[in-house]
Amino acid sequence: MAGQSSGGAIYFAILGIVTAAFGLADLLVTASGSEFAYGGILEIPGDIFRGGWGGIIMLFAGLFYLSGIRNFDDIHQFAKVAMGSILIWVVAGCDIFAMITESIPSWEEETGPWFNTFPDFIATYAPPYAPAVLLLPFSLVVIYYIRKRASGEEGSGNSA
Amino acid sequence: MKLSTGERWDLIDKISKETVTFGAYKHTLKDAIGELTVKPMTGIPVAIAIMYGFWSVFGSFAGFFTDGFFVRLFDAYWLPWLQEVFPGQGGWIYAIMVDAGGIESGEFVLSSNCLESFGVLTSGLFVAIGVVLPAIIIFYLMLALLEDIGYMPRLAVLLDTVLHRVGLHGYAIVPTILSLGCNVPGVTATRILETKKQRFIMMTLLAIFIPCGAQIGIMQDVVPDLMGWILLYLIIGYFVFGYILNKIVPGKAPEFLIDVPPYRRPLLSNIGKKVGGRVKGFFVVAIPFVLLGCAIVGVLYQLGVIRFLGDALAPVFVGWFGVPKETAGPLIAAFLRKDLAVAQLSAITMTPYQMITAVVLVSIYFPCVATFAMMLKEGWKELLGALAVLSVVVFTYGGLIHLIGILLGVA
Repeated sequence: MAGQSSGGAIYFAILGIVTAAFGLADLLVTASGSEFAYGGILEIPGDIFRGGWGGIIMLFAGLFYLSGIRNFDDIHQFAKVAMGSILIWVVAGCDIFAMITESIPSWEEETGPWFNTFPDFIATYAPPYAPAVLLLPFSLVVIYYIRKRASGEEGSGNSA
Repeated sequence: MKLSTGERWDLIDKISKETVTFGAYKHTLKDAIGELTVKPMTGIPVAIAIMYGFWSVFGSFAGFFTDGFFVRLFDAYWLPWLQEVFPGQGGWIYAIMVDAGGIESGEFVLSSNCLESFGVLTSGLFVAIGVVLPAIIIFYLMLALLEDIGYMPRLAVLLDTVLHRVGLHGYAIVPTILSLGCNVPGVTATRILETKKQRFIMMTLLAIFIPCGAQIGIMQDVVPDLMGWILLYLIIGYFVFGYILNKIVPGKAPEFLIDVPPYRRPLLSNIGKKVGGRVKGFFVVAIPFVLLGCAIVGVLYQLGVIRFLGDALAPVFVGWFGVPKETAGPLIAAFLRKDLAVAQLSAITMTPYQMITAVVLVSIYFPCVATFAMMLKEGWKELLGALAVLSVVVFTYGGLIHLIGILLGVA
């Protein structure tokens, strides 16, 4: 159990460092007023809203992870880790929702087709992705720990 | 039967022994997350994330329906069809109902989109259905979700200290957020505040600094890049003038007690009822004002009243506020429809800073007619007081924004 907890702490420590680094990168790119892309898979938006505010939230998510890894088994510390993941889900969820809403209409002027063509619809979901979307699968690991903790609590009983 | 104090306590002990289970309560993850969202150090980042999610989903959803479908439906099909079939092109009725158009080389020219036509059946319907409806639905849906999850009381606790600085308390966040949908229910919700002083401050701040859903929807559509700056100026104004009002308005601003409920999974049926009721309420109260306001603006334009007032007040707008002379008309028409006024402003050539100033002025300039009527219902003394504050705010804050622009070299 302790080994698994320390494994979780190390995992979220690394995730926290990466998330905070992405948050800082978001802020720096936004401050520079340009966009940044790497390897066809990562794209950091340069607009104030997604890059600026989104970057601040990513930075906080990283800090939540890092502040929660000490004494990982304590529920209050673990809540910080869970909150780090929730912040990533908010930013990534907004990015994915924006992708969905952009993929359906054709956005053509005046009397063109109302809906997007199938290739263009699919192309909207192709990379590059924003940092939060890339980190989304890694942040979902927290669900495993939440379930593990819940099953442990059921076994021991919640209230005395 | 009359019990002595000792007997009462004995009875209480007896009942509690039979009904209450004592023991150490072990915190659950939900409890711990609940605590994190109330403590300032951790709660403020969460509040930022929730507001980010709120506005991101709002923008994507409203843009999906408005820009993705309604703009084309109204501009490419509805407007040309009405322009063709409605009789009396170039006449008064045609201008008010369908298209005010313009004059180019001495000839009447029809408008190419519903934001410029200013007819009741074109601009009025487009704003009401194409812009406001999607914005209001998603706004109230998100608000209902936050309420039913149990986040709003936590936000109230989190903002309590800040709102005390402006003579209010944490619960003031309810009318403030409601007003972002429509100022009318926002004014009604000021009744949850205890003292006259609090209600007056809240009502005044709502009428001046909180843009309604219709205005936000139009701003999102026509000046999306400037939204952040416009909202920033409004938020700063809300707190600065709130602080001043707290100092000068006599009365008490008491503390508040709140029972913070645990986080809960929202029920779809409750969400549906809340959103349905609020959207229906908005349409019953606000839509007639959108269409009537559009008609009155059209009549005033046709009579030359707005042009006359615009020309008369142009020196103030140009010299004091630093906006072009042409903005005088929309700013005067803003009394009737702020959303339409923003749409009118978007058609005027000006610098981004002038646009920010003009849109902020539209917001703080005067409450719309519907809000005006609701404030009157709350009391004429409060209304007169709010209007006096408003007049001072418009001139000082409008001039201050111009001054900031001059100092930054952007005005």
